[in-house]
Amino acid sequence: MEVTRRNFLKAMGTVTLGTVVFNACRWPEEELLVQSPWEIPEDMVSGVDTFYATQCGQCPDGAGVVVRVVEGRAKKIEGNPDFPLNRGKHSARCEAGLQALYHPDRIQTPLRRSGERGSGQFTPISWDEAHQELVRELRSRNASQVVLVTQPLPGHLGKVVHDFAKAYGGQHIQFEPLERTVLRRAVKEVFGQDRLPDFDIGKAQYVLSFGADFLGTWVSPVRHSIGYGEFRQGEGRRRGTLVQVDSHFSLTTANADEWVYVRPGTEGILALSIAHVIVSEGLGDRAAADALTGGAGAQALDAFRPQRAEQLTGVPAAKVLEIARAFAANRPSLALGGDSPASHTNGLFNLIAIYSLNYLVGSVGKEGGVIFNPASPLAVPDSSSTATLKEWQGLVERMRRGEVSAAVVRGANPVHGLPAATGFGEAFRQVPYIVGFATVMDETSALADLVLPDTTYLEEWGSVVPDPGPGHEVVGFQQPVVRPLYQARSFGDELLSVSQELGLELAQGTMREFLLEGAGKLQGLPRGSVRSATVEGFWKGVLQRGGWWDVNAKANGDAPRPPRLPTQEKLPSYTGSPTEFPFSLTVFRSLSLAEGQNAHLPWLQALPDPLTTVVWRTWVEVNTRTAAQMGLKLGDMVEVVSPQGRIMVPVYPHPAVHPDAVAIPLGQGHTAYGRYAQDRGANVLSILAPAVEGETGALAWGATRVRLVKTGESIDLAKFEGMVPAFPVSEEEAVIQITTL
Amino acid sequence: MTTERPRHKWGMVVDIDRCTGCEACVVACESENNEPISEEGHFLQRRAMEWIHVQRYWEGEFPEVKARFIPVLCQHCENAPCEPVCPVYATYHNNEGLNVQVYNRCVGTRYCANNCPYQVRFFNHWEPVWPESLRNQLNSDVTVRSRGIMEKCTFCVQRIRRAERQAAQDGRELKDMEFQPACAQACPTSALVFGDLNNQDSKVSRMAKDQRHYKLLEELGTGPNVIYLKKVDVNAHA
Repeated sequence: MEVTRRNFLKAMGTVTLGTVVFNACRWPEEELLVQSPWEIPEDMVSGVDTFYATQCGQCPDGAGVVVRVVEGRAKKIEGNPDFPLNRGKHSARCEAGLQALYHPDRIQTPLRRSGERGSGQFTPISWDEAHQELVRELRSRNASQVVLVTQPLPGHLGKVVHDFAKAYGGQHIQFEPLERTVLRRAVKEVFGQDRLPDFDIGKAQYVLSFGADFLGTWVSPVRHSIGYGEFRQGEGRRRGTLVQVDSHFSLTTANADEWVYVRPGTEGILALSIAHVIVSEGLGDRAAADALTGGAGAQALDAFRPQRAEQLTGVPAAKVLEIARAFAANRPSLALGGDSPASHTNGLFNLIAIYSLNYLVGSVGKEGGVIFNPASPLAVPDSSSTATLKEWQGLVERMRRGEVSAAVVRGANPVHGLPAATGFGEAFRQVPYIVGFATVMDETSALADLVLPDTTYLEEWGSVVPDPGPGHEVVGFQQPVVRPLYQARSFGDELLSVSQELGLELAQGTMREFLLEGAGKLQGLPRGSVRSATVEGFWKGVLQRGGWWDVNAKANGDAPRPPRLPTQEKLPSYTGSPTEFPFSLTVFRSLSLAEGQNAHLPWLQALPDPLTTVVWRTWVEVNTRTAAQMGLKLGDMVEVVSPQGRIMVPVYPHPAVHPDAVAIPLGQGHTAYGRYAQDRGANVLSILAPAVEGETGALAWGATRVRLVKTGESIDLAKFEGMVPAFPVSEEEAVIQITTL
Repeated sequence: MTTERPRHKWGMVVDIDRCTGCEACVVACESENNEPISEEGHFLQRRAMEWIHVQRYWEGEFPEVKARFIPVLCQHCENAPCEPVCPVYATYHNNEGLNVQVYNRCVGTRYCANNCPYQVRFFNHWEPVWPESLRNQLNSDVTVRSRGIMEKCTFCVQRIRRAERQAAQDGRELKDMEFQPACAQACPTSALVFGDLNNQDSKVSRMAKDQRHYKLLEELGTGPNVIYLKKVDVNAHA
């Protein structure tokens, strides 16, 4: 709004009235502080809300959001209806970003450690002092012994950190608790792509998903869910069929038309068996079949005959035939896989077999199939360069040998998120100098010598090149929607400022200026959703719309060549003997808390798990019958013992868990991370074996076996189920009515 | 004297074939409507608050097991059982199909919650508390309900009023899908659709005519303004 005399007086009138009214309230000082006309940004009018487009920083999928801001305070996060990836929709995790912004345990000032490491004793210092200390320390240290640890940063901030590490001579490591390394490698080997593809679920007729919880937590759940809505009941199309091949009953499994239970880690064998049927019965694309089998046809896949696959996977041969025929007949059909099949020591074998199925039904690069993403239009690093478990183990070794003299950590929490058996926590404590940029003190920053108050994504400039994108070029722009709270300063700005003092050759100025420079490059193209003759006009346009995209800039290049399918099976291996440790352990992301990143947000702590409806806790899912045989009831505390350790968790008797498996969600078990997360539940990563996927060195989080030990204790397990009386379930008055239409 | 026909009849369609149970609606509602934080103890006392919640029903046992989800919110019944039992007229039916709760009339008898067959009314057993910083988030369009007050889904009446005001200001009719309540706005699969049932061309009216339509506990004759569309299960035992 333009500031005219008339508007100004109008605003002043409201403010004065506000003062009078608020004087009657209990906290006049605070209210007046925010209401004071001196504090009002130029675009603020009392009582009028403003909507700013920015990027969601809560999940890695990179959704665009619109934030409603009233009088300088963020009130609501909503999907950006323009943004091609999520088209106005968002997840529960996304919405809860407000609580990250206004978290009561935000770090308010720079802190210097004053007690023993890990004692939690810190003294507030000024930013000047902290900044000088940081510069001094970085200058005095051997740069090759300094590591920068961050979460995956696919955008301008990633570029700043990357360039900083390069110019300074340190090492930049990106941390992802449940790695996508295997998925990325598989996509590279099967499709020759560097970026993850988009899955066109909305136009597919038959989706065969191996383990991927693509509606809940896998890769880009909001985008998949938009497609799923169309897939089910889109206008002018036949209802699609979703078959979920899975060893774990996830949110996606619950929504499938059919759940096919498969022995964990044998998904690849099943996929190859399906390929065997399609090739031998001539149901698929002939050229692709030849390429996949090296011209040998079904003979090359002889090891995966349905009868043999039945013995290995536990899926009846007749079922394999049925799935293969339906998959080939109901095109466009789509095969995708992740989570469980990727979590074993043979993860790459599994995923290569699964994704190769798309060639047989002609779904590669086609509508209703796998759609490739073009390279990023900006030279910013993507999130693919995350470190594998093997690389983390290498870092732990270096820390133990005293070869890491300083660590700068931002937005990553490896002390909580790496399996305890890697010894990361212990080794990290021995690093002489640690700097933690954090919004809320987590396990990693609690060990730091210098803790710096970071801004949340709602208070800073940045960009996101979503990976995977929607099949065309997209750059999301992130702008501060409120002023930074307390003394928070953006990590990017601080890093740029440090680099200038160190005399490094890096972008000059601030993150905003750096982003503006990136906008200039896009403006010069000139194509896409925002076009302007001037950089300034373009800048306003992208900030208003939340980003820039070009729906015509799709992936081009030659059609990828199908890989040669394996001829011999690869079976998963486990840590722990089946006699001593009878249960295989399934570890899964929590729908709300993810891998623990969201555990500090009360809305998400209180959000019921969709299947068990448990809130605020960790639980172990044990098959109902197994639990009954062991004499375990809901809420009975058991020790879950692996060769690596033990945790104590309450039992949830679950009708859909395999009798020989138990499942535990990630997310809880924090020893820090604010009042809502601390000392709550257990961290299943602390008992995970540090097993790696054979080809990639990624964490194989499905490779641990456990046993249950009764403790005799029992707790009242908080859950939503039973909160309200269940509706009567009967034929005449069914609550959830079913039709076979 | 002529009575003016009500212009709008607000209603919602819930397509449970689209619903995945992701619960994006739940947090969207909590954020929009200043619902108190449901602490662990609140759940243990069966006093947690979720104006819209997703119920999950198990069917069968491993390996022939199914889980089904249904989002449940205030049904804004035409013959609402909660309304006649209120001694102070705190809950009444307005002429646009909304079941309205007037917070400053409510004296907390809880008769309405007792009489609601859908169990979607929530009572403030405690004064809602937020740490000072979290109070910044509270929606300034929505009253914070104090202890002793009954509350429930309002179909985001503040959004309805805002859109109506805006339309009146612009001198035009309200457009279909111009606004949505927080839950429907968030819903990634578009399982929730809100609109005017009086407008025959509105998306919600068209969806409500789908052959899969049914109403929750229809035999009670409460006349809900929330219409469900049946779950499709091709493998269901007919």
